[in-house]
Amino acid sequence: MKNTKKIILPLLLVIGAVLVAVFSNVISNKSTASSSHRTQIVFWHELGGPSEDALEKVVDGFNKSQDKYQVVPKYQGTYDEAIQKILQTHGSSTSPAVFQAFDISTAQMIHSGFTTPIQDFIDKDNNFDVNKISPVARSFYSNGGKQQGMPFNTSQPVLYYNATLLKKYGITPPPVSPSYSDITRVAKQLYEKSDHKVKGMTVQVYGWFMEQALANSGASLANNNDGHTGNPTEVNLNNPASVKFLEWIRENIKAGDFIDYGSGASAGANQTAGFLANKVGIFIQSSASIGQLTANNKNELGITYFPHPDGQKANGVAIGGAALWISNDKPKDVQQGAYEFIKYALKPEVQAQWQKDTGYLALNKDSQKQKVLKDLYKQTPAAKVPGRQLATAKPNYYNSGILMEGMQLTRQLEEIAMETVYNGGDINKALEKADKDINANLHTLNKANGY
Amino acid sequence: MSTILKNVSKEFDQGKKVLDNVSAEIQTGEFFVIVGPSGCGKSTLLRIIAGLTQISAGTIKIENRVVNDLSPKDRNLTMVFQSYALFPFLSVWENVAFGLKARKVDSLEIESRVNDALKMVNLEELRDRKPRELSGGQRQRVALARAVASDAKICLMDEPLSNLDAQLRIKMRQEIYALQRKLGLTLIYVTHDQVEAMTMADHIMVLNDSKIQQVGTPEEIYQHPANEFVASFFGVPPINILPAQKISEAILQVNNDFEVTLPHPIEQKNVRVGVRPTEMKIVDTDELHANATIKAVEFLGDEKIIHAKMNHGGEVSVMVDSGAHFSPFQNVEITADAEFLIFDVEGNNITEQGAMVHA
Amino acid sequence: MLKSPTTDQTISKKQTVSKSKSTFKLNANDKYFSLLFLGPSLFILGLFVFYPMIKTFYISMFLTNTLGKTSVFAGFSNYAKLLQSPDFLNSLVVTLAYVVGVTFFTLAISLLLANLASKKLPGISIFRTLYSVTMGVSVSVAAIFWLFIFNPSTGFFAIIANALKMTPINWLTDPKNAMWAVIITTVWMNLGFTFLILLGAIESVPQTLYEAASVEGASPRFQFFKITLPMISPTLFFVSTITIIGAFKSFGLIDLITKGGPTNATNMLVYRIYKDAFYSGNYAQASTEAIILTVIIAAFTLLQFKFLEKKVNY
Repeated sequence: MKNTKKIILPLLLVIGAVLVAVFSNVISNKSTASSSHRTQIVFWHELGGPSEDALEKVVDGFNKSQDKYQVVPKYQGTYDEAIQKILQTHGSSTSPAVFQAFDISTAQMIHSGFTTPIQDFIDKDNNFDVNKISPVARSFYSNGGKQQGMPFNTSQPVLYYNATLLKKYGITPPPVSPSYSDITRVAKQLYEKSDHKVKGMTVQVYGWFMEQALANSGASLANNNDGHTGNPTEVNLNNPASVKFLEWIRENIKAGDFIDYGSGASAGANQTAGFLANKVGIFIQSSASIGQLTANNKNELGITYFPHPDGQKANGVAIGGAALWISNDKPKDVQQGAYEFIKYALKPEVQAQWQKDTGYLALNKDSQKQKVLKDLYKQTPAAKVPGRQLATAKPNYYNSGILMEGMQLTRQLEEIAMETVYNGGDINKALEKADKDINANLHTLNKANGY
Repeated sequence: MSTILKNVSKEFDQGKKVLDNVSAEIQTGEFFVIVGPSGCGKSTLLRIIAGLTQISAGTIKIENRVVNDLSPKDRNLTMVFQSYALFPFLSVWENVAFGLKARKVDSLEIESRVNDALKMVNLEELRDRKPRELSGGQRQRVALARAVASDAKICLMDEPLSNLDAQLRIKMRQEIYALQRKLGLTLIYVTHDQVEAMTMADHIMVLNDSKIQQVGTPEEIYQHPANEFVASFFGVPPINILPAQKISEAILQVNNDFEVTLPHPIEQKNVRVGVRPTEMKIVDTDELHANATIKAVEFLGDEKIIHAKMNHGGEVSVMVDSGAHFSPFQNVEITADAEFLIFDVEGNNITEQGAMVHA
Repeated sequence: MLKSPTTDQTISKKQTVSKSKSTFKLNANDKYFSLLFLGPSLFILGLFVFYPMIKTFYISMFLTNTLGKTSVFAGFSNYAKLLQSPDFLNSLVVTLAYVVGVTFFTLAISLLLANLASKKLPGISIFRTLYSVTMGVSVSVAAIFWLFIFNPSTGFFAIIANALKMTPINWLTDPKNAMWAVIITTVWMNLGFTFLILLGAIESVPQTLYEAASVEGASPRFQFFKITLPMISPTLFFVSTITIIGAFKSFGLIDLITKGGPTNATNMLVYRIYKDAFYSGNYAQASTEAIILTVIIAAFTLLQFKFLEKKVNY
């Protein structure tokens, strides 16, 4: 008996410790909730660095503007990883009330049935004029005539060049909407005239750019008009638009003026560093990089539209970035609070400040009248270019994004095709292989989802 | 042809002298034992001969060649370590062959030499065992076989028997001796055990306090010790040393307890007298004539050791026949015969005329 | 004996009764106790090891939909598909190349350094500290450090290449070099720990073995290969097992340096599983790959123990 007692006590301690560990989470959640009189709105986002600071400014502004709701922002890492977290936590106490999900997860979010369409709230709201919000951006996140998510941080890819270097070597800058050969000319000249000290150009291995090259050429990746008229069943990356895009890059690789920084976040950082250090003259990047590129740049920054194939006009590129979505697993008042927050985030003054802070495009038409943006354009005229690119484009199926599931893997496979070509592989073979792999995945996914 | 140490000294970094001006000549083919208490520098001396430790001063000559700057492998000798230094991952056979392989000896010759060596130490059946599967004595034999297989004519041994139990030690002592004789090796053997030294050596070097005390044959060392240290180091039980005063030209009074007759005149008034336990006389007597009291009696079979306390302080051991009857607390009279040693106050042996033996 | 059979009987009966009773009781106690002792560990193992393993296998038998839920039963078709997929087979090959490369260079270099550092030379403790310093470096710090070195326009190698008027090597964008870049970084990270363990092993080899060998005529080279190596072989076995398993599981560095690219050249199994599950949301495929990886590692460990353990234990 004595021995039994000796054993039971530590055993109880262990079991107790496990129980405490399991339940403390629940208890602590409850206690924080009850400590505030406001309704807590948990907000998941994926913006790090300076953008996170700007986002917290928006959240603070909202929390101060009223006393009913309290938005709690929580950083979730990369866009890709966040999607899985959102899907896997849905219905649990940890899931967010409002979350940020990136462009290519749109189809997944709509199909999941985990969200309440923003349209439901807009329809009940008499104080919100949705027409003020950029229609191109809105259409990206709409389905069946209903606004599903609300576009928030929106960017477009643009081409940056080092205007100071071009002046130094007497090179004529590219036009505002350049063709592939316009850029090739500048890149080659820069490389030769700098005595090979400056590489002419780079294009990061990034599936987004590949998709934008298709959009800008007026070509689609997936059938059913990139998924806008039905769920895609087949993709065709091996089309003339992709080939021309990759041929353009290959021509520059062969001429020696191209430098490959690879893929991923580190590649992005490396090419920015190379650009700022006068090691490379031209690169393509999101318009959201503009803040970083003007703040740390001794040189004059040049910006053009995304380049287009020779012998045709630019069709315009799709938007990138992310939208805000409302989870349907939360009580009515929480969902309403989430909507109030989204509405606040799209106010003209908030959007104007947002563009100035981050480089993402202000989506409210009235933002352009704000002093903040007027001052910005006065200071950096080139900052106008991305906005004009967005405004110039007429929305059509090609430049409204690809509404298809499995886009993350699709991008990875696009990137492998790009890498293959960058390392001397055959363009058609690389694209063929990508098509084969993307289609295989798409078919499995459609089968699994029962489409 | 011999190994000659000349004024060898060794100091370690902190200036501590481990060996002080050691000189000796070791004849080729002899069994030479270096003996002394722990810390006397005997192992260091052996390592110096092997070349494992650098010398601070002096010269070492092996077969007419100064080897001071030669590395161990070029001195053409072999060594048996206290720990045997067997390679745990090699079999007995491979252990013995190790050195031969290192010297790139022809494989047929390795085969025959290793087999011969194993045969010599009776380990043929255990040739494929690993060291951990062997007893202490067998490991010892492997180490010996390794020395045998190397055809070096000088073999150094560093306390090779100290890890064995008493029985085995006696057996191995004989085997090592037989081996040395059979192969005609020059064996330089370090030990702290005076019995090993006495039983095996042709010559003994006694080291104490970094200095040589005496070099000589076992008989010389035992019968004519150079000093009190050497005298008390050899012999079991050890020699009895008692203070003495010259009370007349020919008489020494020992410990105020008994008197002995001097073999020849000495100058010193105060000396010390050493008497081996076997040379002491002990008789039963009454309290009036007694000069000592028995403390303990040890029975050894055919002999007894009597430990007694002298009346004027000091203890002595006396060896008697086992038939003699003595018991504790008995009053006895203890005296010495003609066989005794005389040391001056510095400890030097002045028993013989013109004293100072060897040294 | 004959005196009172009845009492005798009753006594013996009593005895048997009490005996059987006590043994029965003891059995019950045993069961109760064994459960009490085993319970917590069984519970924890079951919850955190067996359940996930079985669940993973279960998922690998299905297709999973957008929400990550199992939807269509697929049997072993996921396995068949993977084992025929050139991309997956490529992952197997690069994983193997990486494991072999990392293990070989980690052991070879740290053995060399440990052997140098075990020499009694003045100032050697400075080198010992230097060599073991990577043990305190986190994966992210190491990745940033090496990304900086590998940078094609501002990196250390690029600067040297430019100074020598050579074309800089595309460390991270050329599939052939990316594998080396990842191996170099991993080996660099592994060195500190492996060095320290091997140094400890080398230092614990009895000095008399070397002395005996040097008297017997062995050169330092011979001593290293014939004494040091065999003597530390159990430790070598230990660190090689750790290194191999660590290399198989390598994830952080891959994620931070190459993200499995370029063209899948460094897309190791574990990283592939991560990407399939948490990027693409293809849990069925990821589970299938996880099961295959488990089988491979188990086989590796088994082989290692079967063939190497005998050789290294003396």
